[in-house]
Amino acid sequence: MASLGINLPASIVAGISVVIGLLMVVVFRYTSDQKAIHVAKDHLKAHLLALRLFQDQIPVVIRSYGRILLATGRYLRLAFMPLLFVSVPLILLLAQIDRYLGSIPFEMGHPFLVSARVAGAEAFSDATLELPAGLAATAPAVHVPAENEVVWRVVAEREGSFLVNVKTSSQASAKQVVVGSGMPRLSAMRLRGQFWKRLLYSAEPALPQNDVVQMIEVQYPSREIAFAGLEWNWIWLFFVLSLAAGFLFKSILGIEI
Amino acid sequence: MKLREKHRHLVFWLAILGIVVLCPLRSHAYAGPGAGFAVLSSFWTLFVALLYSVYAFFVWPFRQLLRLLKKRKAYGNAQIKRAVILGFDGMDPELTERFIAEGRLPNLAKLRDQGSFRKLRTTYPAISPVAWSTFMTGVNPGKHNIYDFLARDLSNYLPYLSSAEIKGPKRSLKIGKYTVPLGGARIKGMRKGTPFWHWLGEAGIFCSVIRVPVTFPPEKFPGVLLSGMCVPDLKGSQGTFCLCTTRATGDKFREGGVRVPVERDGSVFCSYVPGPEDPLKPGSGDELRVDFEIRPDKTGTQARFTVDSQTFPLKVGAYSEWIPVKFKAGMGFGAHGICRFYLKELAPEVEVYVTPVNIDPGQPDLPISHPVTYSIYLAKLFGPYATLGLAEDTWALNEHVLDDDAFLAQCYANHDDRERMLFDALEKTQQGLCACVFDTTDRVQHMFWRYLDEDHPAARDVPHDQHPQVIQDLYARMDALIGRVMKQIDDNTLLMIVSDHGFKSFARCVNLNAWLHQNGYLALKDGKTESGDWFEDVDWSRTRAYTMGLNGLYLNIKGREREGIIAPGADADAMKDELRRKLDGLIDSASGRVGITGVFDCDAVYAGPYVDNAPDLLVGYGDGFRASWDSVMGKVTSAIFEDNLKAWSGDHCIDPRLVPGVLFCNRKIAEEKPAIVDVAPTVLKLFGLALPGHFDGRPWTVTAPEAVR
Repeated sequence: MASLGINLPASIVAGISVVIGLLMVVVFRYTSDQKAIHVAKDHLKAHLLALRLFQDQIPVVIRSYGRILLATGRYLRLAFMPLLFVSVPLILLLAQIDRYLGSIPFEMGHPFLVSARVAGAEAFSDATLELPAGLAATAPAVHVPAENEVVWRVVAEREGSFLVNVKTSSQASAKQVVVGSGMPRLSAMRLRGQFWKRLLYSAEPALPQNDVVQMIEVQYPSREIAFAGLEWNWIWLFFVLSLAAGFLFKSILGIEI
Repeated sequence: MKLREKHRHLVFWLAILGIVVLCPLRSHAYAGPGAGFAVLSSFWTLFVALLYSVYAFFVWPFRQLLRLLKKRKAYGNAQIKRAVILGFDGMDPELTERFIAEGRLPNLAKLRDQGSFRKLRTTYPAISPVAWSTFMTGVNPGKHNIYDFLARDLSNYLPYLSSAEIKGPKRSLKIGKYTVPLGGARIKGMRKGTPFWHWLGEAGIFCSVIRVPVTFPPEKFPGVLLSGMCVPDLKGSQGTFCLCTTRATGDKFREGGVRVPVERDGSVFCSYVPGPEDPLKPGSGDELRVDFEIRPDKTGTQARFTVDSQTFPLKVGAYSEWIPVKFKAGMGFGAHGICRFYLKELAPEVEVYVTPVNIDPGQPDLPISHPVTYSIYLAKLFGPYATLGLAEDTWALNEHVLDDDAFLAQCYANHDDRERMLFDALEKTQQGLCACVFDTTDRVQHMFWRYLDEDHPAARDVPHDQHPQVIQDLYARMDALIGRVMKQIDDNTLLMIVSDHGFKSFARCVNLNAWLHQNGYLALKDGKTESGDWFEDVDWSRTRAYTMGLNGLYLNIKGREREGIIAPGADADAMKDELRRKLDGLIDSASGRVGITGVFDCDAVYAGPYVDNAPDLLVGYGDGFRASWDSVMGKVTSAIFEDNLKAWSGDHCIDPRLVPGVLFCNRKIAEEKPAIVDVAPTVLKLFGLALPGHFDGRPWTVTAPEAVR
């Protein structure tokens, strides 16, 4: 795609933004009190106009400011419920998309850190990192007692998807590490328990409940997407494009937002 | 079980809220377009408000300084802080006294007892646009140029609206069969003279003026104004309703409406709302339309309407809310209007009444307020409202398209909107002038006088003891409104209740053109015994006098009218004297009553630069009489007198001496015979302003208030 001059990540973000922009305004339409929102917005505009129309009547101006605040509060209250309907699935969806578009894989020859949080003093001192062929440690492990964390610096000698193992005296816990390019599904951490956190941050199965390792994490570099002459984090690009799409569809479909 | 279910729901939503709030992720910075809109919209509003407040804060001292200087000038000699003038079009002093005596109007009784109540002399003729023009300008019609709703075109004897002229844009671009307008419509106000709120505004006294007649087009002044009577509908008429029907009848409505077919397509009925002429094809007669569908439900008592992209349910016998309609002409041209639908019938036929399409106050295609944002402000605050000058559809009731209840519902819906506007204006105008005119009194009396008159021809089939108390209820309702206003004012506020004229029964029609024909003043073309509308069959070369409109009688003057034959000067004066002698005291032989109680020479009644546009004579009909419907429209019939069988059964376009208006005030007024022309100078004087020399009215002596609450 890149060879065809198409910026794949930007195209994907644009596509997702348009679809989600449309979906969201439709969901908003059916989960909100359209008439009440229309009235609340009209009242806001009326009180704004009152500021101009009766500008020499100071008591009127002061009352209008108060009414603007009240009307804004009413509008936000009316937008809250549909916002809840819209936000929950969207957050889950964005968390999934973030795994593909939020970060890029490690580059070959560039060092990166693997950190593991373990439970118990014995495991903390015993923890070692077992690397597959293609990955090599470039420095001795650093222990951070305050966090119960052990950190290793690793470099990739070739591209691929690897499993690194954090070994303690009793167990071994694996974590996927991706080296290369493209848009593979990346998981920054593997966790034990913590269902909601795993749902939002991890793309790997949970670590076993009896495992002394609580978390293994790598920090993939953030993906910057070139669009309209600027470098964007995908979430901000999505924000702008889905907002534009939402405005467009709300006008076309006559939806009050 | 239910409780557990509820509990589970609560836990679920709290958990979701918990995730959103407690588990920050960078994607939480943005939770979708909905949130984006909500946040952006409200913060944008707040931002604009903040920006404006900063601006207002910095300019406020300068504005206040300017205002103080002006105010010192204005309020320096003022006897009042605020004047509230409530106009009740057509409120009749005799009826008012009667209802006060019956204990129906406690608030007006209080005003009368603690302040003043007088009959208010009206204008010649006693017609709303004339009287309200005099009210606002303080001058006689010879100086404000309004003599009737209609004026006549001397080149063709055809009528035109006397208050405003609306023309297409000055320039246009011809592309093939289309004419692209370059610029907006041109509107010219025909009323001359300066409304008294302009003088107040210039002196730094803020004014809110709502729906005073003949304020269209709105004129620029330091205050806010919403135009009233004479604002056209979107078609440019003074109100054209539409009856959409499956009934195959070809009868045209005499006035004010069109019939549109409803087509059946399976279980759906389709019709349209006719709109203005296509602006891209001026003169072609092609009108723009908005289609709509009706889907009756199974019960046959309700239907679902789809108009543009809006759908709403409507029960038989009920009105919709104001529905915005956009008439699209292509190339981005179009017009915004609002109308209400009234479902008359679903079976066996389908009939829907549609109000005249009003100019949308939220996005007006023609200016209907000053500043233009004032109508928008009111629409945003209260929702869409009737903007048409004659918003109560009297024609539809006359033509039996609406029944009494449907008409009243329409009147009072409009009235309620007007009340809301008034109370908003009262709140916004703590100092200055607040003037608001209510038309409901006029329209309801026009249409329901038949139930007040024991022997009205239009209500003979209804036993007198079954006549509804519509007018009694109307006055009581207005009294209650006055009571609410009285609670909002203090001792420094002048409250004045005025009406432009009173009311009388309209039981008998006088076709003055028929009288002129039968007495040799108006000639018809050879072989004709009657004439169609607008003098269709009149032979002007042999006609000496004619009438059109409500009270004006015109001579066919040589050099003035296109085919004039009477020499101006002595001949014309002699003709006027002759007509006055013959018409004054004209007896209706059928009833034995005097049909005309006075004929007035306009040269004696008017003075000012526009006297030449006045009729030559004004006909003052007697109590119970008025110009016939045909005569008003320049038609010549064989009968001079006939019964009025229309619902429009009360009127005031008669001898002005018989229909004075009312004047109530919360202060003592010394004058025994005040006139409507005196209102403007009185208000200016109370605010301590010098009176312009051209005023015809004289200020009243108004003495300090006794607290009237």
